[in-house]
Amino acid sequence: MSETILETKGLGKRFGHFAANADIDFVVRAGELRAVIGPNGAGKTTFFNLLSGITLPSDGTITYKGRDITSAGGPARVRLGIAKAFQTANIYPDQTVAQNVRLAALARVQGSFALQVFRRSGRLGKVDEIAERALDRVELAALIHTRAGDLSHGDKKRLDIAIALATEPDILLLDEPVAGMSIDESRRTELLIKKLAAEMTVLIIEHDMEMIMGISDSITVLHQGKVLASGTPTAIRASKVVQDAYLGGHSEAEIGG
Amino acid sequence: MTVQSLIQALLNGFILGLIYVAIAIGLTIIFGMLRLVNFAHGAFYAIGAYVGLVVAQKAGFGAGLIAGPIVVAIVAILLDRFLLRFFYDKEPTAQILLTFGLAVIAEETLRLIFGGTTQQYPLPDWLQGSVALAGLQYPAYRLYMAIAIVAIVICVWLFISRTNYGLIVRAGVRDRTMVQLLGGNVRAASTMIFAIGAGLAGLVGVAASPIYSIDPQTGFKFLIPSFVVVVIGGLGSFWGAVAGGLIVGELSALTTLIYPGAADVIIYVAMAAVLLVRPQGLFGESEVIKG
Amino acid sequence: MIDATPTRAMRGGGDLAFYLWTALGLAIFPFLFRLPIFNGYNGLATQILIVGIAAIGFNLLLGYAGQLSYGHAAFFGLGAYAAGLSVLRFFPGAHSFGLAVIFGVFIATVAAFIIGSLVVRLYGIYFALLTVAFAQMVFFVVFQWRDLTKGDDGLQSIATPAINLGFAKFDLTQTLPSLALGPFGDLSEVRLWYIFAAIVMFGVLAFVRTLVRSQFGEVLDAIRENEERSIFVGFDPRRYKLAAFVISGALCGLAGALRALYDGSAAIATLTVDQSGAFVIYTVVGGVGTIFGPLVGTGVIMWLENIVSAKTGAWRLIEGVIFVLVIVFLPNGLIGTILKRKFNLFATLRGKK
Repeated sequence: MSETILETKGLGKRFGHFAANADIDFVVRAGELRAVIGPNGAGKTTFFNLLSGITLPSDGTITYKGRDITSAGGPARVRLGIAKAFQTANIYPDQTVAQNVRLAALARVQGSFALQVFRRSGRLGKVDEIAERALDRVELAALIHTRAGDLSHGDKKRLDIAIALATEPDILLLDEPVAGMSIDESRRTELLIKKLAAEMTVLIIEHDMEMIMGISDSITVLHQGKVLASGTPTAIRASKVVQDAYLGGHSEAEIGG
Repeated sequence: MTVQSLIQALLNGFILGLIYVAIAIGLTIIFGMLRLVNFAHGAFYAIGAYVGLVVAQKAGFGAGLIAGPIVVAIVAILLDRFLLRFFYDKEPTAQILLTFGLAVIAEETLRLIFGGTTQQYPLPDWLQGSVALAGLQYPAYRLYMAIAIVAIVICVWLFISRTNYGLIVRAGVRDRTMVQLLGGNVRAASTMIFAIGAGLAGLVGVAASPIYSIDPQTGFKFLIPSFVVVVIGGLGSFWGAVAGGLIVGELSALTTLIYPGAADVIIYVAMAAVLLVRPQGLFGESEVIKG
Repeated sequence: MIDATPTRAMRGGGDLAFYLWTALGLAIFPFLFRLPIFNGYNGLATQILIVGIAAIGFNLLLGYAGQLSYGHAAFFGLGAYAAGLSVLRFFPGAHSFGLAVIFGVFIATVAAFIIGSLVVRLYGIYFALLTVAFAQMVFFVVFQWRDLTKGDDGLQSIATPAINLGFAKFDLTQTLPSLALGPFGDLSEVRLWYIFAAIVMFGVLAFVRTLVRSQFGEVLDAIRENEERSIFVGFDPRRYKLAAFVISGALCGLAGALRALYDGSAAIATLTVDQSGAFVIYTVVGGVGTIFGPLVGTGVIMWLENIVSAKTGAWRLIEGVIFVLVIVFLPNGLIGTILKRKFNLFATLRGKK
């Protein structure tokens, strides 16, 4: 069995008196496709923010490939191989699709800072290579000269994923990747996620239960900031505890599938 | 340095502090409600002072005291309606540049109209004289002004915390869109807040001119310290403006006593210290820092 | 916002064309300037170039790194005083001109590094206010250190030493030989100072253009456009902003040093908020985020100032009005507006719009 790639112990985050996350013990093995689900307000996005470095935790530790990254900043985590695609596609709206992805590839090749005030980045061949590969995988190659801000909602989200891929991650965090997409786009994205999951570890927050049940290796359920249950899709589906938690928000049919 | 001079400095600092408080309150609620960084706020002070002077020379002290803030409020409303409201919610850089430009225009216009020399504000007899206080004779007018400013600050506070309009202001500081969605008349409240903030600065401009005299630089002289006050207290915080104002006033006065050359720079050092250690100020919210 | 920065797509134009046109422009500028409609004179042209260097430096921070500083006079003034002190006290002698310039830039760069390190963690109004605070502190120190800087009087009688290249010496106050040029005046009105300033300006423009198109410039663009995303692809915004701050401070220092050597004096006025404000005005009027904008803005404003101040005392008011009008109606500045029109025109012609 593959080793643990990411682990949190007692992870918590408080905003004032409000505990968005508390006591989270979480283990992911390399190559897993782990879904993180839970009713609205369960703290899923906060959890991802803690993992990616957008916020620093109030308690607990995060270990990545055996290394303590609890206080590491965003750029450091990206360099270590943790990449994130955002809930609302976070792109450079005034740049072309190609340039968006190239920037991520550039960061990958040059590091967090390079005082290259004379040379143009086009000289770095590897950058174009990485960018092309990322674009091919999300199938956006046809749109490379389009201004990113002009893309459709679904295409923007795929661009966001391409940007994340261009940093050559070992673990990819996807925050609601199919939210707001049409059925067609959702299915395409689902296929993409399956493909990616074959090459790297993927963590995904989603509400689309059908998709989650279909593709995940395992599922962690968050409720009111804490881990409620963790296990295979079958086990989670059958779990009474999970169903009770969801009856507050969704109907049983949504979980049962 | 004698005990006497120390007490005098502390009193002067308190008076100056109250002036800063009055200016800063306007600045901070304008920022809180309209998300406008107003570099022209000092100009409201200066316009109030000059208008008050002109009117007082013709119709007496009281008339000047009334005319100043009213004219300033009108100017503010016109500015808001025709120019500034397109800049609310824009990036602070654009706002700083625009209001800075307006401040320059205001200062230069005043200079052209009134000349570059310092003017003195005529004080009626019944307001002159001094009062025995803590072992020295302190100018009575300053104390009257202090009491008046404290009363005004309390009134503004009551307005914000007790009335419906005030409720819109407080909610608007938190979340403008939500207030609009809930049906609050944000537009009207915004204009009113701007007028009140400006008028307050104008009022204090008139009231303080017998003490500090008037010249076209006055606007800029009070502008940066007002921002220092607001930074120390916390942008958007009412009581922050009060605390900040008094702190900066006392700091200024005490430094003038001990090392006069540094009186200007000490407040910049204070502001730098706050910005480096706790940028949101004493009472501000820490999420405000980005942009 | 006042975001004129053309996207990468807009930046067309070959390198050779740029260098040729720039050199040509700089060469004919003093002569055009002499035409009766402009009524300029060579000294003013030189001053425009020198101060323009500072505006270009300032624009690097505002237009490309996206941060508004109201304290850049600190670097300008430090450059001036450092150069002056270098000639008068520290490094007089055969190579004092070159050493003065180097020393001026050095001091300004060190100051920019120290101040920059503290300032780049902030944003928006907080950033601007902290730059003002530090600039005021620099003013205070320079003003109070009378032994070194003569306080209010400033440094005087800094003779422009000659440029000493070993094999040749150039006295910058010398003029070119006489040659009548009709409405363009006489060739002898052009001093070597102008030629020197033009060479430096050419270098500065070439440097900035290269920087903006470089890998560094590309990342700076990205950070300005979406800082969060830039962090989460792995860039460190703070170091980029610091680098931009230091380079911009260095350029202001260069301008200050040249100014002191040209004027023969270093005045305390170079360190005031007014001076910082002047850089802001020149850059905004000319066009934030464009290469030539700050130079054009400096030229237009300084030229207007020269004409208007002779006739009325209302120059500062007029300057303020121009500034506000530009912000409200021409937020991209003179050059920025022209560039945008040109870009829209090309895009339409190419059928992209």
